[in-house]
Amino acid sequence: MRRNSPLLPYLFVLPLAGLLSFVFGLSLVRLVEFSFKQVRGVDGPWIGLRNYELVLGQPLFWEAVRHNIQLFLVIPVMVVIALALALLLYERLPGWRIHRTILFLPYVLAIPIIAVVMKQMFQFSGPVNAVLSALSLDFLVLDWIGSADVALWTVMALILWRETALGVILFLSRLMALDETLIEAARLDGARWRHRAWYILIPQMRGVIEFFVVISAITMLSAVFAYVYVIGGGRGGPGTATMVIELYIFNALIRTSLPGVAAAVSVMLFLVSLILIRALFALRRREEE
Amino acid sequence: MTTQARRTADAAGLGRRRFLQAGAGFGALTLTGGLVGRAPAQTPALDMWWWGEQELPGLQAYLDKAIAAFDLAQITPMLQDTAVVISQFQTAAAANDPPDIQYLWNGIYHMESVWLGYLAPLSDVMDPGILAASNHGPLSRFDGKVWRMGWYPLPMPWYFNKDLFDRAGLNADAPPATWDDLLAACEALKTAGIEPFGGGVQDGYWAEWYLTHALSQNLDTVGDAVNLFIGDLDFREPRYHQHWVKLAELRDAGFLNKDMASLELYPGIDLCVNGQLGICSSIGTRLPADATSTNGRIGCMTLPVFGVGALAGRPVVDMQGLGISAGSGAPDIAARFLEFLNAPAQLASFWEATGWIPAASGFDDSVISDPSVKDLWTRWGKGNNITNITNLMPGQFYEQAAIPTGQNIITAGMSGEEAGELAARVAQEWRDFNPDLVENYRTWAAELSAG
Repeated sequence: MRRNSPLLPYLFVLPLAGLLSFVFGLSLVRLVEFSFKQVRGVDGPWIGLRNYELVLGQPLFWEAVRHNIQLFLVIPVMVVIALALALLLYERLPGWRIHRTILFLPYVLAIPIIAVVMKQMFQFSGPVNAVLSALSLDFLVLDWIGSADVALWTVMALILWRETALGVILFLSRLMALDETLIEAARLDGARWRHRAWYILIPQMRGVIEFFVVISAITMLSAVFAYVYVIGGGRGGPGTATMVIELYIFNALIRTSLPGVAAAVSVMLFLVSLILIRALFALRRREEE
Repeated sequence: MTTQARRTADAAGLGRRRFLQAGAGFGALTLTGGLVGRAPAQTPALDMWWWGEQELPGLQAYLDKAIAAFDLAQITPMLQDTAVVISQFQTAAAANDPPDIQYLWNGIYHMESVWLGYLAPLSDVMDPGILAASNHGPLSRFDGKVWRMGWYPLPMPWYFNKDLFDRAGLNADAPPATWDDLLAACEALKTAGIEPFGGGVQDGYWAEWYLTHALSQNLDTVGDAVNLFIGDLDFREPRYHQHWVKLAELRDAGFLNKDMASLELYPGIDLCVNGQLGICSSIGTRLPADATSTNGRIGCMTLPVFGVGALAGRPVVDMQGLGISAGSGAPDIAARFLEFLNAPAQLASFWEATGWIPAASGFDDSVISDPSVKDLWTRWGKGNNITNITNLMPGQFYEQAAIPTGQNIITAGMSGEEAGELAARVAQEWRDFNPDLVENYRTWAAELSAG
């Protein structure tokens, strides 16, 4: 093959593409195949769309979907808080470097570690309620992880605390890359902080904010297992109050010996995630243009 | 030798000759080490996947000694993680690469593997007398064969704290026997400022254990439990959800400990042991330590009776066990090892290493010196006990009904009737999701009901 052949780059990526196809492609094909089978052990008879039909007709599945959708409520709150913190850090307030480290710390710690600690903190007889009682705020003393009405909100608070840190770092990185002359000019013209933020900084951060929103949406959909596993007692409890799609899949696969059902839900989750990832790539393309 | 290896050797200050000598020496050591480590060619090598150190510390030490003492085969044990005990075995069996010996939980936790053809019938390969004396229990039988050997029992008592009973003016030598007695005892404890009843349900196991003791009270045979799942009996009938009505009654009377919903099972038991809770559900393997730490002030009782079934009021004993996989290359040798574990010397070694009682009748229980443990063993282990009926529950029912109902009654105000509705619906869903298993369950129910 000639050195300037248009096929040459494809030849270079061929081994990696082959490896990825083998590792991911084969698994995906098997996953789709399983979703149409009643699998016992490692295989089973073909049953068409029956697994999908059963899952879509089960109230527990829809409850899990509703909980995942409820988690989406965290995203706008995360964006606002992360943006506010990033803008404050960008102003280089005294001690901003140490504040930046403190804010990013939750993201460095593993989710199970944070969740286990939080679970202890939020027990009915735990330190949070003890402090609230000591401050005569008894009306705020709740069964944070034991009440079916409150548990998912506690999970959301935990996700908010940890995942906001990523937003802060992403936003701050973008702010650091901005042309400071424009901001300096606005400052000299007498623009206040909120005016500079609203009219100059935030418009230039649109791409990274969109990126963070899409990443967070994917997280809420398919990366909250560790949070609910620890806070929900390993079962999405109390009752089914913190059941989410990932835990539904885990239970179907490991605890109820229904790999076909787990595969059907995984395929559906994969397709929804694919749509979100596609949106992410579209945004990145637009940002690059 | 690669260039990189030479560079490394030079950098470390070794001459080329010394490096070669060291390499040759290392190779020889590896080779001889490997030879020494291997058993003679004629000794079969068996794999054993097991679980239990998690609930019975000392089991690993016992097993290591037993394996070292067994000279018919070289056995390689592997301690499994709790989450994969079943799935790991079934996957390996399906791939025709199972261990020879597998740890098996009771009832459906191994029966599904029987139905999939992954286990060998022990009644075909083990000495019948030894197998029967292992006390495997009724849930190890299917199709006229026994598929699992009993290894160690798990009596399931309810604890009551004798000091708290004294404080509340109750007779600590006569714990409540009927439901009305229980309500009166709870009232007395509550009046004395003591949280009367409960534990921790956050991880769900308390809800399972409650069903173990309470659902059985309205069953006449163990097979009735299976009939509830296959649809021949119905959870919506008052008799079959009365146990949840009773739980709601305790909740409504304010008898359950306030932090029950946010505590896990074992910290909940600790409350009773530490003198903060009157009555809780527990497990016999804890008793030696709990009796010691309280100077014998922990009493054991069965769940007070409200039901009218033949199983009401009888002590519950679960049983852990071992089996042989259908894909084992040496089932006879594996059977000899299981028989070896039942030899009196091995049973004594089990007690010595774990401080707990092995299942086999050949165990000399005169060595039990703690009066609390002795009493538990006499009344539960050797008494007119019943098996743990939650071991008959399909996994889907366990996860989506057994545990959520208990948690929702305690934390979300669910009524007993609503719990019955949910259970009936989930049982129907299980039948829809698993039409291939229903017939096996039906056969099993018939065998269990016939005794």
